[in-house]
Amino acid sequence: MKKPLDLVIVGGGTAGWMTAAAFAAVFPAGASRIRLVESSEIGIVGVGEATLPHIRFFNKRIGIDEPDLMAKTQATFKLGIEFVDWARIGDRYIHPFGAYGSKIAGVPFHNFWLRARAAGETASIDDYSLAIVAARMNRFTLPSEDPTAVLSTFGYAFQFDASLYARYLRAFSETRGVVRTDGKVVDVALRGTDGYVESIKLESGEVITGDLFIDCSGFRGLLIEQTLKTGYDEWTHWLPCDRAVAMPCENSGPLTPYTRATAREAGWQWRIPLQHRMGNGYVYSSRFISDDEAAAKLISRLDGKPLADPRFLRFTAGRRRKTWNRNVVAIGLAGGFLEPLESTSIYLIQIAITQLLDYLAGEPRAGVFDARIVDAFNRWIEMEYDRVRDFLILHYHATSRDDAPIWNYCRTMPVPDSLVHKMELFRRRARVVTYKDGLFLEPSWLAVYFGQRVMPDAWDPLADAVDANEVSRQMRTVHEQVQTAVARMPTHEEFLAQYCPGAAQSLGMSA
Amino acid sequence: MTATISRIAIAGSGAVAWLAASSLVRAFAQRGLEVTVVDTGPAADAPLGRWTLPSQRTTHALIGLPELPFMRITGATFKFATGLEGWQGDGSRFLHVHGDIGTDIGGLAFYKLLIREALAGRVESPELYSVAATAAKLGRFARPMGDDSSLTSSFTYAYHVAEAPYVELLREHASRLGVRRAGALADVQLDAAGNIEALRLADGQRITADFFVDCSGPGARLLSRVGSAARDSWAAWLPVDRVVAALGPPLQDPAPVTNVRAREGGWTFRAPFVKSSLTGHAYSSAFVSDEMALAELAGPGAQASRLLKLAPGRRRKFWERNCVAIGGAAVEIEPLAGADLHLAQLGIGALIELLPLDAQHAIEGAEYNRIMSRHADALRDFTIAHYRVGAARPGAFWSAARAAPAPDSLAHKLDLFRANGRILLDDHESFEEVDWAWLLLGSRTIPDALELQIESRFEKVTPAELAPLRMHVERLAASMPPHIEYVQRQGSHAR
Repeated sequence: MKKPLDLVIVGGGTAGWMTAAAFAAVFPAGASRIRLVESSEIGIVGVGEATLPHIRFFNKRIGIDEPDLMAKTQATFKLGIEFVDWARIGDRYIHPFGAYGSKIAGVPFHNFWLRARAAGETASIDDYSLAIVAARMNRFTLPSEDPTAVLSTFGYAFQFDASLYARYLRAFSETRGVVRTDGKVVDVALRGTDGYVESIKLESGEVITGDLFIDCSGFRGLLIEQTLKTGYDEWTHWLPCDRAVAMPCENSGPLTPYTRATAREAGWQWRIPLQHRMGNGYVYSSRFISDDEAAAKLISRLDGKPLADPRFLRFTAGRRRKTWNRNVVAIGLAGGFLEPLESTSIYLIQIAITQLLDYLAGEPRAGVFDARIVDAFNRWIEMEYDRVRDFLILHYHATSRDDAPIWNYCRTMPVPDSLVHKMELFRRRARVVTYKDGLFLEPSWLAVYFGQRVMPDAWDPLADAVDANEVSRQMRTVHEQVQTAVARMPTHEEFLAQYCPGAAQSLGMSA
Repeated sequence: MTATISRIAIAGSGAVAWLAASSLVRAFAQRGLEVTVVDTGPAADAPLGRWTLPSQRTTHALIGLPELPFMRITGATFKFATGLEGWQGDGSRFLHVHGDIGTDIGGLAFYKLLIREALAGRVESPELYSVAATAAKLGRFARPMGDDSSLTSSFTYAYHVAEAPYVELLREHASRLGVRRAGALADVQLDAAGNIEALRLADGQRITADFFVDCSGPGARLLSRVGSAARDSWAAWLPVDRVVAALGPPLQDPAPVTNVRAREGGWTFRAPFVKSSLTGHAYSSAFVSDEMALAELAGPGAQASRLLKLAPGRRRKFWERNCVAIGGAAVEIEPLAGADLHLAQLGIGALIELLPLDAQHAIEGAEYNRIMSRHADALRDFTIAHYRVGAARPGAFWSAARAAPAPDSLAHKLDLFRANGRILLDDHESFEEVDWAWLLLGSRTIPDALELQIESRFEKVTPAELAPLRMHVERLAASMPPHIEYVQRQGSHAR
């Protein structure tokens, strides 16, 4: 029998408890011993969190019951993100979790839409996206399993209370044998031979040893940076926002099945509807606005009565040079930060956990993790961060706003070559550069290109080979199917009430 | 939008030129695209015959070439696998099969289970769990059939085809589709800006076009006039720089297998056709002289022999100005993986997807070069891997082939597999996870460990449970007819 892998997670919060839950659920009893150390004195970031549809794979893999999770985290459904005032003040578009129409003769649908539009067609491309139409009408139902049904053309994610989510995962983990210790880490001991972390020492004097340490200590990176000095690649020149102020408020109006991101004078404001309250925040650049002013702006722009005092957060956009260094893996903010404009924070946590689970091949041999595995893991995480980064930059860069210094900066800043190439190709002929792994498939790029007014000069000439009447017929059919399907869907609130009603509101307990 | 690209001229006379012509005409027939093939005479890299990948079937479907007449007219045979002999030392042999290994277990690839077994000291060949492999060894063949989940559809196949009748068929097919022919190419005329303006023919006629496709082989008669000569050489990893081949009498009851056998200075090959067979030797001129190779090949009954010289590598840019190079003009590599036409067709497909809209096409060119560089490098990696997996065959040539560190992309792939049995693919790779699994497991490359979570998910699967699958595979393979009988029977049906 092999010796179990001793896993020590430093830090609770979303990253820590997701890691604990996943390892506890996926590794069979005996394969690992998991300890999590968190300090009840250190608050967690715990603002409202919006997720991506990928979280459902995570839930499924570790065996989380979706309605139960949703009820206990005051969750709502999410069909996409609405972007307001990004390319120009007054603009709004939804980045949907779903497709626009479907391919015709093997050619992506948007080419036919562009062709029809040039011929005078007035329907928006949004009309061919079930997720967008349903979101706009505040309706929701679960997707169909039948791939031929229009109801199979979308996905969904959740918007939930992150502190309740951590609490939920804690209970999940503890029933599966994860041992939680309340305490502060005061010292870290390194192995003399190779600088591996040997143990951590708590304020209580307890010393915890382990094979693998997961650093979920947040932005400071207690192990990965403060101890191992791994280094950080900073991307502030592309993503200048470095602060956020968060403040929940009461709900007002219908619960929207989408998150909203509104461009502001020095960044952008999030609005995440949960069952019991609304999460809000202002992500901003300290170069362009003061903390006080940002908070004042946020308060003046809430939909309902504030439910807590403003909470301030600081960060630097970028990525830790190595996510896995020696026997420390940094997950969550300890590993890097990309602003939550596209709700990627939990995804980046999830992908680090699942890749780690998939790559690990037993306990370290002779006390050392296989460098070939560590390097492959790090390359993967790098790829994930780089892809998200380019996509985020697109939102800031493809704008014609000139009403504030941040927009003048972002509009004119040099962007990564990889992004320049993607944008040029789209402008030229509506071609989206796609890739096999990592975030954001073609519909996501389309949503943001079109939404940010990156309009192509032409389209794929292969679209011209298809008979125009046949194309209009197919386009009309999709349009009608979407309308009909959405009209039959219950409202978001109706669906929530029967699927996963949250506990009665207990305001103020979960800021 | 009116597209101003209405005429394309293709320079070449081999299979790639005609495949490109037919593909372009089929894709843009409705837009009235005019395609002319300008003959460039016998190319330096024209083989006497070839073994393909299964994707050749898709290519034929794309240009509307039905399988039965293709096989009847060209005398082609089927290919289930490549049989590699001696690559891990004399006596070693394994198949790279065009098909699955076993069937997924609980959503996990079956080959992972073979890794677990191997780590427990029970090394088994993946061939025992493949219908196509078992049939190949029995010399039997039948097309896949049935639904996706059944073993009878768990494989696919490729072809062995002699070049002369194949090119002839492709040329006739292109003509039927409306492709024009002109020739022979005398020289290339550039305009003041340095773009290709026209191809001048031997009879003085000029063929003008908006865009030019260079399928003229390694000489790259068009692109070499407008493009940079910069190439990435692969010689450090792939020392084979000569291929001699000859057509001989048909093989007796040939298996649907391409045989490639490791030799002192390279490898020899043998592929069956209905009315003849192909034999040859791919070698490094540093280790084998051309005279020796040719003499050895000229056995009794050899009809014709040909010597090809290879400079393994690729152009840095395939598309420059108004010209794109496809086939040997773009990439030169030993034919081990049988992927020449596959790679060419990927280039043709990328050109169709990126067909210029007008005279401004720098961005299309950049995208084409980005995608096709990756495809070419992926083929390079897969070919190099043959020389580096499993036990190291001794000998000066073989040591030389392994001397340089592998390209990073390949090193990453092999390293990870050796560490935990995981096969990772990048964007734009032609060979799939299962192809790598055949190569790695076939060569007895056993990882140091297996991914922990996979190991745990297999915990309840005992070796005894695999016996029924092996028996099922054997029964199915044995029920197939002999390969050549199958080929001939379908030929008679077609008539």
